[in-house]
Amino acid sequence: MGAHFAGDRASLASYLKMPMPLLRYFSSCWRSLYQKSRLDEELDEELHAFVELLVEEKIRQGVSPAEARRAALIELGGVEQVKERVRDARVGAAMESILQDLRYAVRVLTKSPGFTFAAVLTLALGIGANTAIFSVVNAVLLRPLPYAEADQLLAPMGEKNRPDAHATISHPDFLDWRDQTQTLEHVAAYTRSSMLLRLDEAEPELIYGANVSADLFPLLRIRPALGRAFTRAEDQPTSEPVILISHGVWRRRFNSDPNIIGQQLKRGGAGAGATIIGVLPEGFRFPVQESRTDFLRPLAPALGEWAQRRGAYSLRVLARLKQGVAAQQAESEMRAIGQRLELQYPDEGFRLGLRFVSLYEAVVGDVRVSLLVLLGAVSLVLLIACANVANLLLARAAARHREMAIRAALGASRWRVARQLLTESLLLSLTGGGLGLLLSLWGLDLLVAGSGLNLPRLKDVSLDRNVLAFTFGVSVLTGIIFGLAPALLSVRVDLYEALKEGGRSATAGAARSRLRGLLVVSEVALSLVLLVGAGLLVKSFARLRGVNPGFDAQNIFTTGLSLSKIKYPEAEQRRELFAQLVERVRAVPGVESAAVVYPLPFGGTTTSNTFLIEGRPIPAPSEKPAANYRAISPDYFRVLHIGLLRGRAFTEQDRPTASPVVIVNETFARRFFRGQDPLGQRIVIERASGQATVQAAREIVGVVSDVRHAGLDEEAGPEVYVPFTQAPEGYMDVVVRTTAANPAGMGASLRDVIRVADREQYVPGVQTMTELIAGSVAARRINALLTALFAGVALLLASIGIFGVMAYTVAQRRHEIGVRMALGAQAGDVLRLVLGQGLRLVLLGVAVGLAASLALTRVLAGMLYGVTPTDPATFAVVALLLTLVALAACYVPARRATKVDPLIALRYD
Amino acid sequence: MAPKKTNLLQGTLDLLILKTLSLGEMHGLGISRRIEQLTDGTFHVKPGSLFPALHRMEQSGWLISFWGESEANRRAKYYRLSRAGQKQLEAETREWGRISLAIAQALQAT
Repeated sequence: MGAHFAGDRASLASYLKMPMPLLRYFSSCWRSLYQKSRLDEELDEELHAFVELLVEEKIRQGVSPAEARRAALIELGGVEQVKERVRDARVGAAMESILQDLRYAVRVLTKSPGFTFAAVLTLALGIGANTAIFSVVNAVLLRPLPYAEADQLLAPMGEKNRPDAHATISHPDFLDWRDQTQTLEHVAAYTRSSMLLRLDEAEPELIYGANVSADLFPLLRIRPALGRAFTRAEDQPTSEPVILISHGVWRRRFNSDPNIIGQQLKRGGAGAGATIIGVLPEGFRFPVQESRTDFLRPLAPALGEWAQRRGAYSLRVLARLKQGVAAQQAESEMRAIGQRLELQYPDEGFRLGLRFVSLYEAVVGDVRVSLLVLLGAVSLVLLIACANVANLLLARAAARHREMAIRAALGASRWRVARQLLTESLLLSLTGGGLGLLLSLWGLDLLVAGSGLNLPRLKDVSLDRNVLAFTFGVSVLTGIIFGLAPALLSVRVDLYEALKEGGRSATAGAARSRLRGLLVVSEVALSLVLLVGAGLLVKSFARLRGVNPGFDAQNIFTTGLSLSKIKYPEAEQRRELFAQLVERVRAVPGVESAAVVYPLPFGGTTTSNTFLIEGRPIPAPSEKPAANYRAISPDYFRVLHIGLLRGRAFTEQDRPTASPVVIVNETFARRFFRGQDPLGQRIVIERASGQATVQAAREIVGVVSDVRHAGLDEEAGPEVYVPFTQAPEGYMDVVVRTTAANPAGMGASLRDVIRVADREQYVPGVQTMTELIAGSVAARRINALLTALFAGVALLLASIGIFGVMAYTVAQRRHEIGVRMALGAQAGDVLRLVLGQGLRLVLLGVAVGLAASLALTRVLAGMLYGVTPTDPATFAVVALLLTLVALAACYVPARRATKVDPLIALRYD
Repeated sequence: MAPKKTNLLQGTLDLLILKTLSLGEMHGLGISRRIEQLTDGTFHVKPGSLFPALHRMEQSGWLISFWGESEANRRAKYYRLSRAGQKQLEAETREWGRISLAIAQALQAT
């Protein structure tokens, strides 16, 4: 009958070195999935050929051509119907064979529960870890910001290296900028704020929110759920106080009272008498980094008199670009406006950061790299897990060659067998994936709760559609990765060969052992990369922790007090209260010394002010030097054990009526008074304080040693210290040094003392200085910890993998070992033989791993402190450690090899 | 084909197709005619049943199709038995034998 038409496919198959049936399978899948119309065409052709043949037959029987065609078409019964039935049949058959595969896979897997359990567990750990990290990446990096057209939102940033370096502006400058801008649709200024919510119950609640300019609402395009937003008219320094509360507060504290609009909050605390004019939409947050927004208030009334001070830079800014305008244009315009204002107000000048970044960048910019590094690390762990499972499957595949051979003899084509194996792999990986999903839920809870991390948007982490899709995708990919090797190998097995008694097919065996060797090498290489990364991060963290902050952080307790402006409107009152407080706290048993300070080191706030040195030419406003500012009580240096280098500390004599004094630090003295004695010099600090608009010149009376106030990784900058009595603040931190290491009840004692001074004063939690410092490096700690954890898991998995492969290889070579021993080989020779083979693989893996590490660790450069990405010590230690561990994993099977009884081994051939 | 379509009938059709193709490779029309011939005209397989069966069996791996030329030099789709199909034929023949024996026995009971 007809000729075979297989020329093309056969040559294509041999070109790709793919067995024909496999190629045919793939091509029919391709055909049916992506070229449905081609399949249709073929079917069409087939049916029309049928009709033509039928017509010919009828013509041969003597029917007229027209009649023949008519009869043939009737017999066909409608091309479309037949095509439909064929399609249904095809789909049905496909489903049936998939179900068959599944049923068989389930049977096979349940018959070897040990293997299945080990494989599923390994995969669950690998996939689960990936899911957990990915959900964090998803929540922090991938989810769009919760504002309309968020890509148009910009935030000006200040210096490059500070993570929280939002640029700040003063209120008058902000107003001018707002009125003069042509490139920005809206500009809004804000500060973060907190207040006490006093309702009829006894305990007031501290709630968090922001003081914002009225433009924020149109800028973010948000509409209150109830009531209305405030207008510019209500955003004046003298306006009556109004407030919008969050949906959550409305529900929780006011029972979703529909008549909430118009209610007034109680007096006491800073929110005295504010009228509620609206309720914010549910889930609304601003700033987006904060974990909650309970209220929004107008900015100007909250600033009070400071709203008119052009020199008070304390407001953050958010801007929305006009459509079609580029960020650079807005930046240049901002600079131009700044220059204009500098000329107009030469004494105060316009100060604002020079860069505009998108709001998204401002929020996630810092953590992006470390999150992606973690994701990369955890994927490496998954790859190692895949290699382990692949090895397991390979071992099993060899044991199953008989089963495969029988199936082939029964007529199953090779690709069918391969498909079956792939189904088993996918079943394993999807089960592992499901279990991993559960594990990640649990692990995530741990991570978010226990780490104390302050990642932006961490609160949003949840298992949403993206994460589920990711988990599913990773599971499928994993199954294909580790299942493909055994599947392909099984296809190449010469099945007749395998049926021979004790069959050890030469080609398949060689291919399999080469693959096993490759897997071991890659596991070792991947583990090395992870270990190097972890080593670098851990070393970096240790270096950082070892940095001396310049003061003694042991045994120091602290809490911050915010004085109500209503209760203590006068500077004198504030000064009096804090002075009294220090006295009383000092009297508490167990307290060695006490002081107050603003701002607290490692407290998350820095204040910086420009200053002028008396007797020197006044520089242009943008070139004025600046120093960090701190208001302290006399004992401050004693509490923190900061050394006094020259001159004197503050005393009780430095009262408001006495001459204004200031103490500077080493860096200040070195930078601005090089070669001179700073003592006796005078500087004017440009900081609005109290009612004074003109700053008095302060005499430098002392020099203290440098302290790292902002972070362990930041060099100390120039600092000025001012006695708080001469510049009282509304908020100060109390710092207390205790004699004992951790006296019980110190927190309670402090609270009691404060309550005595002012019964109504709200006292937030008491912390220790060591806690604060640890908090400042918490992110690095977590990074190092997690990476080390992943590296540890990787090492464990790799060791198990190497152990398994070596044990298997030894078992395979028992015959050979028996022969050698019979020919006189000693235990030591056998040991060397086996270990040598293992060592070769391990060393190759280490070499590849080192090369890969050299290329990859540069990614970590931004995260490291005091360590280079190619730190030779770390590389050397890690390489050595891994080699030793890997050798140890080879050792046990090698020992077992020496115990082979040559007689038994030879007999069992 | 009898109007009712049950699994038994589908299995029977499969068996007939397998047997037919075991005698040589053919195209769709040829298979239909051969079945008629082999069963002395008892079974006339319409295209609406034949082609779904052919495609289903190809999907299951029992048949292999290829394009070839008929006697009149017309391009047509041919089918032949695969090794799995051969095994399937043997298995189904045995099965058929068992079933028919069992039914015959049952019908003879009084």
